[in-house]
Amino acid sequence: MNPSPPFVTRPADLLMENSDTPPLPKTSKTLPGKIFDVLSGFGMATILLLLLGLLTWFATLEQIDNGLYPTLKKYFYWKSVFLLPEIKGKMVPLPLLSGYWVGALLLLNLILGGVIRIRKGWKHAGNLISHLGIIFMLIGAGVSQHFSERGNMAVGEGEASNTAEDYFEYVVEVSEIKDAKAGTIHIIRGNDIDDLKEGKTRAFRFPNWPFDLEIGGYMDNAQPVSISERAPDHQQQQADGYYLTDKPAQENAEANTAACYARVIFRDGKKGAPFILAGASFHPFSIRMEDRIFTVDMRKRLWPMPFTLKLDKFTAEFHPGTMKPSKFVSEITRVENGSEAKVTIQMNEPMRYEGLTFFQASYGPPGAGPRQKMYSVFEVVRNPADKWPEYSLYIVALGMAVTFLIKLIDYLAASSRKNRNAKPN
Amino acid sequence: MQNPTNKTGRLIAAVLVIVGLAAVLYNVVADNMPKGEVRKIADYTPWTPETVEIAETIPIQNGGRIKPLSTYAGFTMLGFHGARSMEIEGKDGAIIKLKPMAWMLDALFRPQLSIQQPTFRVDNSAALEAIGVKPRGKRDRYSYADLEAGREKLLELAKSYEATDAKKREPVQNQIVDLALNLRSYESLLGYFGFARFGVTLVGSSSGATPDQRADISAVMRTSPQIRQQIQETRGQGKALEPRIQGLLEQVLDAANFSKFGLFILPPADAKNLTWQSAGNAIMDVMSAATDESELAIADIKLMESAARAIGKDEATFRGELTVLRDTLAKRAEERGEYKHIVQEAGYYQKNWFLYAMIFFLVGTLSALAMWGLGGTGLGTLLAWTTLIPTLLGLGYCITAITTRCIIMERPPIGNLYDTTIFIATAVTLISLLVELMTRRRFALGIAPILGVLLVILGRRFELGDAKDHMDPLVAVLNSNFWLTIHVITITLGYSAGLLSAFLSCAYLLLRGLRLDGGDKELRRALTRAVYGMLCLTLFLALIGTVLGGIWANYSWGRFWGWDPKENGALLIVLWTLAILHARLGGFIKEWGLHFAAVFTAIVVTFSWWGVNFLGVGLHNYGFTAGKDTLDYFYAFILLILAFGVIAMLLDKNEKARSSIG
Repeated sequence: MNPSPPFVTRPADLLMENSDTPPLPKTSKTLPGKIFDVLSGFGMATILLLLLGLLTWFATLEQIDNGLYPTLKKYFYWKSVFLLPEIKGKMVPLPLLSGYWVGALLLLNLILGGVIRIRKGWKHAGNLISHLGIIFMLIGAGVSQHFSERGNMAVGEGEASNTAEDYFEYVVEVSEIKDAKAGTIHIIRGNDIDDLKEGKTRAFRFPNWPFDLEIGGYMDNAQPVSISERAPDHQQQQADGYYLTDKPAQENAEANTAACYARVIFRDGKKGAPFILAGASFHPFSIRMEDRIFTVDMRKRLWPMPFTLKLDKFTAEFHPGTMKPSKFVSEITRVENGSEAKVTIQMNEPMRYEGLTFFQASYGPPGAGPRQKMYSVFEVVRNPADKWPEYSLYIVALGMAVTFLIKLIDYLAASSRKNRNAKPN
Repeated sequence: MQNPTNKTGRLIAAVLVIVGLAAVLYNVVADNMPKGEVRKIADYTPWTPETVEIAETIPIQNGGRIKPLSTYAGFTMLGFHGARSMEIEGKDGAIIKLKPMAWMLDALFRPQLSIQQPTFRVDNSAALEAIGVKPRGKRDRYSYADLEAGREKLLELAKSYEATDAKKREPVQNQIVDLALNLRSYESLLGYFGFARFGVTLVGSSSGATPDQRADISAVMRTSPQIRQQIQETRGQGKALEPRIQGLLEQVLDAANFSKFGLFILPPADAKNLTWQSAGNAIMDVMSAATDESELAIADIKLMESAARAIGKDEATFRGELTVLRDTLAKRAEERGEYKHIVQEAGYYQKNWFLYAMIFFLVGTLSALAMWGLGGTGLGTLLAWTTLIPTLLGLGYCITAITTRCIIMERPPIGNLYDTTIFIATAVTLISLLVELMTRRRFALGIAPILGVLLVILGRRFELGDAKDHMDPLVAVLNSNFWLTIHVITITLGYSAGLLSAFLSCAYLLLRGLRLDGGDKELRRALTRAVYGMLCLTLFLALIGTVLGGIWANYSWGRFWGWDPKENGALLIVLWTLAILHARLGGFIKEWGLHFAAVFTAIVVTFSWWGVNFLGVGLHNYGFTAGKDTLDYFYAFILLILAFGVIAMLLDKNEKARSSIG
């Protein structure tokens, strides 16, 4: 006797699609058509999704040893095209296209396949809407990467500030000092100098000043060392009795202190002696020329705000009897063109104003007593695509809801037909 | 047609079922059995249930919230002992099962008996060798009396190891640090009522042959203004403090220090003051005039003295005093609006709903296996009902328990890893039953109690290993009921759907590979469609949940995406399910391929759910490492299923090729 099958046997279900494999779209015969087919195809989509998954997985593991910021620069920054992953410090011999470019190809695939080539008709409307939502999200990610700015602003109770400081970007700030104050200031941005490694130099012109500046030997994390304290160990460039030692990148990239070498280029084309600019230095380098005084400094980029923020009161609350935080609240006054507005910033309730968002990020000093003056640290973000993920979510959710609704209607209709057919004549 | 290997398949399936059941039963029994050898404590008499019940509802501030003493006792015992019960042989050879509250009552009020109980779990005997205590076995439980000889060495070693980062310590060093911490915490319980038991000696108060008199701490507290005045006067005169007063103050300080930690059971009368007091703090605040509530503190200390002194009389007297203490503290807590969930929470742990859920799921599992064994026969139909009913009961218990937790915590159901485990156990069971409702094939019906029992066991094992109260309040950034509801529940439902699709596909591979499906193509197709549907649901929930998480992160941290491991894990689920669905739409995978991919989803989901917590980085990191081996075993199990599936597919194709040639 045949043993019974373990489950109930009955006619085919109609829960999902009516066929296990949908018909494949028609293929083109011309070369451009074939290229279009490849770029818009399910195969490309599958490969790119798997590749993005693999990159995400490697990036998750690699950040344990190398820290988050360097890992992101390696895996998802647009300047990185190909990469070799590392696991526990060991190179994996698997060259991968970087996440930025995989994302870009996925965007192309989505537009070509998920919008242009997709089967049309109301039954596929949901998929089309979802794809449009994802496209919007990916574009938002690109806009964020290229155009967003982040920094932090620390303000003490009773004090005010209108400047935020970038988390990572070191700039060279060249100022002319007049009446003991900085007059004209030139800023050389980080992305104009951070590629000046291994002997590469670049000149920066100041037409209204009697000199230009040449910068080179940029290091992401370095420390000036006096030759009298420790002799150079591998022929580092020396400047005024000092040289720069390269330090391993910090896991927390905010703690890196960039440094570089610079020299003045006089108007006759001659170059001055090299000097060191370092984020770790306390004082700027000064240049005296034609009775004018200039300073050159390397520091994290300062970012002027369109308004002043005054911290009236900061409160840190903890769950009773523990050091587990329950609430951080900053009561501030926003001062702009003489008018004042009272605002409260706390966890999950940032202040959004004039394209800037202020988040409650940190506070200090740690372990402050009850009468001690506190300071609050805000994360300041300017992101043109700030709300785009939220909008894209609505679009994707709508698309998915439409798809599931159509499937459900199909299923119910099919069940109803089946029941009618099953009725005895 | 009779399949030739069907019998072998059934035999293999039977062996697998027996092994699986044995593992489950072992876990069920192991979880609920007292640990370690039965210690003989000749004078031990158990507390009456009435006394234990009174103690259970004493409110205490711990972990940032007000909870019943029974909850504190439960997790403290778990942390020290690794179980919520222990067995001892008491007076007249009676075997007594000690539960947390009784164990804590002993530590607080009968320390001489408590120190003989095998309270401390030591997993590595090398830790004992290092402190000069002779171990009994590699892993065993020891009493305070057993460890006392090595106490000084233990504390000395622990202090030296604490200077090293916990991640860089050797396992035995961590064991020593943990043991020392537990020992100190236990000592704070032993000594907590010391002030009440002994009072202070009034040196120089003897008259003739009678010894120095003793006084209650509460009485000394009452005289604190006079004592302070005397100190002031003496200092004003530039004289040394009178030795009698000096001695008295030293005794009070010692007594207060012993009861300074452990139990914060004294609610302030001032509702604005959120921090409760321990007995030691109350004593010191009165003595140093640091409180406006001296009278209240003195009255509290007096009540505690009365309770501790009553222990020398009979238990009924002690119970009476304890009741007065409990009622006084409870009334004040109630006035502060902090007692509303105490009785409910004490009842939650008494009722042990998840234990009953596990038992019902286990009954459902046994019935499901029998149901599958008998197939579509009449008895099979009966067994379908005997599977469904206990599964529904188990589900009901889970829902009741989770709902009760939500009421007590005043927040949505998921805020930590333990919460996710019990929620997923419930969700997976519920979704399985819904799939069954739509398919009526009985495979989802059978899978429901199996996954239910496995996940409830996982939750109980995690609670045992973690030994932390998972109802404690959340940190500031998570303190949003709105986001906890819409993001966390959505993503956790996504985990549930992903796991269910994986296990449905495991069932497919085993059924087809072992030829248990009798070649029923309709059944295979039904399973495939169910898996496809679950993958779609997984994608929907994971995608929506992930983006919602990003939006929350944008509100909290100022960025939508930070490549945090937990975020990456969720993204991996989205990418993986999207890849499966696109591969299927492109015709790159068919029935076998879809199931292989769905089985692998279990690894992706588990990495996202549990795996990222072991990486030790990120904002969502829970900071624990126990159980990593179990996770690796699970990955290996899934890979084994996949390997089996691949072999089955190759054999199947080979067979088809041969039959087409033939």
